[in-house]
Amino acid sequence: MAARAKPGSLINYIIVRLLLTVPMLFILLTLVFILLRVAPGDPAAAMLGAHASIEVIEQMREQMGLNRPLYVQYFAFLGDVLTGDLGKSFRFGIPVWDLIKHRLTATIELVLFAFTVAALIGLAVGVFAASRRGTVWDVSGDFYGILTYAFPIFWLGIMCQMLFAVELGWLPTSGRFSGFIDPPVMRTGLYVVDSLLEGRLDKLVVALRHLIMPGAVLGLYISGIFARMVRTNMLQTLKSDYVLAARARGVRERWVLLRHGLKNALVPVVTVLGLQFALLLGGAVLTETTFSWPGVGSFLVDRLLERDYPAVQGIVTVFALGVILVSILIDIVNALIDPRIRY
Amino acid sequence: MRKACRLLAVGLVLALAGAFLPACAGPAEGKILVVGTTDSVTTLDPADAYDYLSSNILNNVAETLVAYEPGTTNLAPCLATEWDISEDGLTYVFKIREGVKFHDGTELDAEAVKFSLDRARTLGGDPGFLLSDIDTIEVTGDYEVTIKLKAPCSPFLSKLAYTVGCIVSPAAYKADEKLETDVVATGPFKFVEWVEGDHLTMVRFDEYWGDPALPDKVVVKFYANSAALKLAVEKGEVDVAYRTFSPLEEEGLKGNPDLVCLDGPSPAIRYLVLNVTKPPFDNIHVRRAIALAIDRNAIDEQVFQGTVTPLYSMVPDGMWSHKPVFKHEPEPDIEGALAELAEAGYTPDNPLSFQLWYTPTHYGDTEDDLAQVLKAQFEATGAMQVELMSSEWGRYTDDLVAGSMGILLLGWYPDYFDPDDYLYPFLSTEGAKSLGSFYSSAAMDALLKDEVALSDQEDRTPILEAVQDLLAEDIPYIPLFQKPQFVAFQKDVKGVILDPLQIFRYYLIGKEGWE
Repeated sequence: MAARAKPGSLINYIIVRLLLTVPMLFILLTLVFILLRVAPGDPAAAMLGAHASIEVIEQMREQMGLNRPLYVQYFAFLGDVLTGDLGKSFRFGIPVWDLIKHRLTATIELVLFAFTVAALIGLAVGVFAASRRGTVWDVSGDFYGILTYAFPIFWLGIMCQMLFAVELGWLPTSGRFSGFIDPPVMRTGLYVVDSLLEGRLDKLVVALRHLIMPGAVLGLYISGIFARMVRTNMLQTLKSDYVLAARARGVRERWVLLRHGLKNALVPVVTVLGLQFALLLGGAVLTETTFSWPGVGSFLVDRLLERDYPAVQGIVTVFALGVILVSILIDIVNALIDPRIRY
Repeated sequence: MRKACRLLAVGLVLALAGAFLPACAGPAEGKILVVGTTDSVTTLDPADAYDYLSSNILNNVAETLVAYEPGTTNLAPCLATEWDISEDGLTYVFKIREGVKFHDGTELDAEAVKFSLDRARTLGGDPGFLLSDIDTIEVTGDYEVTIKLKAPCSPFLSKLAYTVGCIVSPAAYKADEKLETDVVATGPFKFVEWVEGDHLTMVRFDEYWGDPALPDKVVVKFYANSAALKLAVEKGEVDVAYRTFSPLEEEGLKGNPDLVCLDGPSPAIRYLVLNVTKPPFDNIHVRRAIALAIDRNAIDEQVFQGTVTPLYSMVPDGMWSHKPVFKHEPEPDIEGALAELAEAGYTPDNPLSFQLWYTPTHYGDTEDDLAQVLKAQFEATGAMQVELMSSEWGRYTDDLVAGSMGILLLGWYPDYFDPDDYLYPFLSTEGAKSLGSFYSSAAMDALLKDEVALSDQEDRTPILEAVQDLLAEDIPYIPLFQKPQFVAFQKDVKGVILDPLQIFRYYLIGKEGWE
């Protein structure tokens, strides 16, 4: 596809990538639509529970539009998405976007923090291990990678809760903000940023105190993969001729590692970082449940169990768009890191 | 540039370090009550609210014509000061309280009452059926409303006391449109904000006609699971934790000297449903054998650590007309069960095999254990073999209505507090179709019809008892237990009432030091 674009033009490439998101989204939305309806369970009965008579359930199905033929429902759904309307949640009766916008920003705040933690730790451990190849430090780095990935994330979460919140009392046990103080005025939806914009340091501290533990746990979980990626790529880069030449010229080792080694090892790492973003969203489900973080991940699971079609379709659409945009962003960053990359 | 980066890094480190200092969180602003729960709110429109927490929020920000006195099951005047019921039980004339203001400043009058009830009847919301007995609503004075019923309905006032009967401001609502995210009514609190999954806030309504609410502000915080809620109340992050903990968590909280824990009666019941049209449960001897093999006390001890109350009728213990018709000695009666099984042609050599269905999460973490214990009890007869089957709630409700499950676990929380709500939906031919038993009995239908036409409690009691006797004779359902309410709160919190109807009244709760 990229071949049709003018060679060397990043902007053309981005345009093509953006255009490609349309068929990608179309396929994804179609799949979600079909899978939800293939799964057993009637949304009307699930919502009304054991209280409702068959007549009431039928009435509810009518109201939900579930009595219409499937193809009518499908085209109505696609038409709504095209006009930016994600529909109304069956369970809540309010527009899906209104329902998830706060949760979405909560998940974004959590994932951004986790991403930063993961990148910082992953890079540090990876570079350190690669620069001391074969030593006990290298093995420790390797061990760290396996350990963080092998630990169930909810277990890690509960252990941190017990230590930092229950035993030491340093951090709140769960949630996104204290009930005793008004949350910051919603501007970006990111409490840390909104607290700063409001100029309230006390709220910033409260927001950070709530964010640290879930963010760090989620970050730690992913950091091991980063560390291993960075280490492997660094080792390969450090074997290359130009690194040898740099060392032969007497360039300082730190400079060799960071300037020549890390910078060139970063291209594949950044690509994987982008892919991990989607994984982070998945990991967020478990972290959100453990820490009662009011994000979109745990919400998606609940809506799936209730067969809330519009809510599930809406969340998947927004998730998919997010992942696609991040992968485009990664391409741009890669091109900036390595001037040789042209599309 | 490098200097700026360093400054930024130092700032970030300081902010993170500061975040670890609990003292930096700052004091609470005003008389704030924070209530934690694992329930969620789904709508704030009285015409549509049909789940526990949505209704409970409405019970604190909105009001009905008649309401239950706190801590009792007695109906008392609320937005109606008095009412007359015609001899034939068809006409209700309500005098509306004067001088009551809605949260938007408009005045309550008879027109507002008619508007609200008509709106709830016609909008087609989930609880709308509770007002289906109404034929017409007429404004017969500035502060008088006359409601005519299609047929006499003894629990009509109880139905009006459900939140579907809340009176809302006509200036803030449209007659033909739901308002799911706001509520403008007359209650002691004014709704402020609802961030789904995070919190809901309400503040005291200073122009409230009754006694003012004790807190300036109530924040209801939503928790994703009971473990997180337990930690939050233990660490003082919430003042009150209400609904819902596991038995083990309740036990842990009761052992915490820094907290106060209360148990209280609950109208919620659990039971087994037997599909009387599906073999082998179409055989009364099989149904009797199953009923005799159950040991409710063992369920209480083994699954719920002694926190539930065995139940021997579908009408909960403590409610008028309750008759423990399933009580038998000994319990379990293994010999009796074997005799009934033999009547049906089953013996230890030719055991009765069936699937017992349950849904693993909808009723909490204990459901797997409950199903296991029931299986063990049935198999202890030596002439029953049970296969446990489970499906998640979406599928379960589907199969329930389709009648594909023979015996299954289910629960019930009443819409209105009257024995009728524990019997009619289950035992009437119409109701039983949607509750999985598909039970139909002309004798039962006749009894239920007679009962609902009477308005006097004393007249109704013998008929309701006869209904329960027939229930125990035909066994389309087997009551198992009532799960009491449980609440844990900080020692400085005062005024927590565990209402038998589970109406949790935030406006009566205060804290030491609040003047």
